[in-house]
Amino acid sequence: MKSSTKMKSTTKSKTSKEQFEPRILALCCNWCSYAGADLAGTSRLQMPPNVRIIRVNCTGRIDPTFILDALYQGADGVLISGCHPGDCHYTTGNLKMRARFALLQNLLEEAGVDPRRIHLQWASAAEGDVFADGIRGMVERIKKLGPSPMRRGGK
Amino acid sequence: MPKRVAFAQLSSCWGCDQSLVDLHLRLLEVLPQLEIKYWPAVVDYKLSDLERLPKGSLHVGFVEGSCRTQEDVHLLEVMREKSQVLVAWGSCSCYGGVQGLANQWSIDEAITRKFLKADTVTDPRVPDENVPGFTDHIVPNPDIVPFELIIPGCPPTSDNIYDAVVALLTGKPFDLPDRTVCDECPREREEKHIKEFHRTYEGHIDPNKCLLDQGYLCLGFATIGLCGAQCPSANSPCKGCFGPPPSIKDHGAKIIAALGAITDMSPEELKSMFPDPIGSFYFTDYAASFISKIATAERSDTK
Repeated sequence: MKSSTKMKSTTKSKTSKEQFEPRILALCCNWCSYAGADLAGTSRLQMPPNVRIIRVNCTGRIDPTFILDALYQGADGVLISGCHPGDCHYTTGNLKMRARFALLQNLLEEAGVDPRRIHLQWASAAEGDVFADGIRGMVERIKKLGPSPMRRGGK
Repeated sequence: MPKRVAFAQLSSCWGCDQSLVDLHLRLLEVLPQLEIKYWPAVVDYKLSDLERLPKGSLHVGFVEGSCRTQEDVHLLEVMREKSQVLVAWGSCSCYGGVQGLANQWSIDEAITRKFLKADTVTDPRVPDENVPGFTDHIVPNPDIVPFELIIPGCPPTSDNIYDAVVALLTGKPFDLPDRTVCDECPREREEKHIKEFHRTYEGHIDPNKCLLDQGYLCLGFATIGLCGAQCPSANSPCKGCFGPPPSIKDHGAKIIAALGAITDMSPEELKSMFPDPIGSFYFTDYAASFISKIATAERSDTK
């Protein structure tokens, strides 16, 4: 009985207007960050539950179309997490993502969309804590920015 | 029996008509098979001539240009109603065109800049009598009404138009190819490690080597191969005016993806090379891009 009332109160706070709970897409590379996320989970590190992870083989596989499409479909933010530069399983995939990310930031800025909605971080398979910190930072950032323009207003 | 056709011009430069007329003597092969019902670029038709036609009475309707004014939207809707097959003719009609770049600003900002603040304006006023009024932002025509066929290009080449018209007259399919300008380009290509980009007026362009290898931003790799690589063949980089091949969802995003893979620069250097990514990567299709739609939503929200 007690636990059910508790549940009720948390769902209520989620739906109330003041408490904005962002929906964030995280794209993690198979070899470092996805394993890092696994480690964060098995180490029972606390993370906000706002992030949905999609595993890709390498951040070099991430087409900027994925990121823009996610924002268009109403994701409040997109986090990309890969191996540290120099550690890529495929040698240079993460460096390609880094270059694409730089241009993408330029593009968002020029278009008038806050470039902080997208974020690139490096977290190795041993850095569960770095991954969890990254998630916490991202959720905090997006909470300050507010919901995606695609979810506000008419939609 | 000749096919009944109409050519409608929305906001555009009418360059697609020029390209059609550039068929010269080949026009004589096509024209006898067409019964022209509406073509203001060539004959003095009025909008009422088009509106009087019965519903679905046109075999093929060609729509050129994008909807910058309310009248354009009306004309587009009338064309849809009258045509059995509606063709988006040229990049403006398919993707919003160069006018789509104005989606970076609100319509009020654009009007102020154009009519009140332009350097050459001596008597600043916004025209408001006997004009149809602007649309808030450019939406690609296929997002307003459904189309049966698109022929991209700024303008489509005379050959593209000829092929499409012949296909429509004979009832054959006209599919856009999934190849790029690079597939049609005669230049020699190498493994790419670009260390620096140049403006087109800087240095001397080797006429035989790939423009991208020489550090000129040529967008042939992400642009549909319909034009026969006209610009690279004339020593000028591709600007991407034909838009992407059909399998690509977002032209600029694909350009960014490719540039990330072929450049050998630090992120800061790369950023400084492209101070205007929208103008560089979305020359004629910004209105059709994800980022334009997100930015438009952002703006209408803060208004």
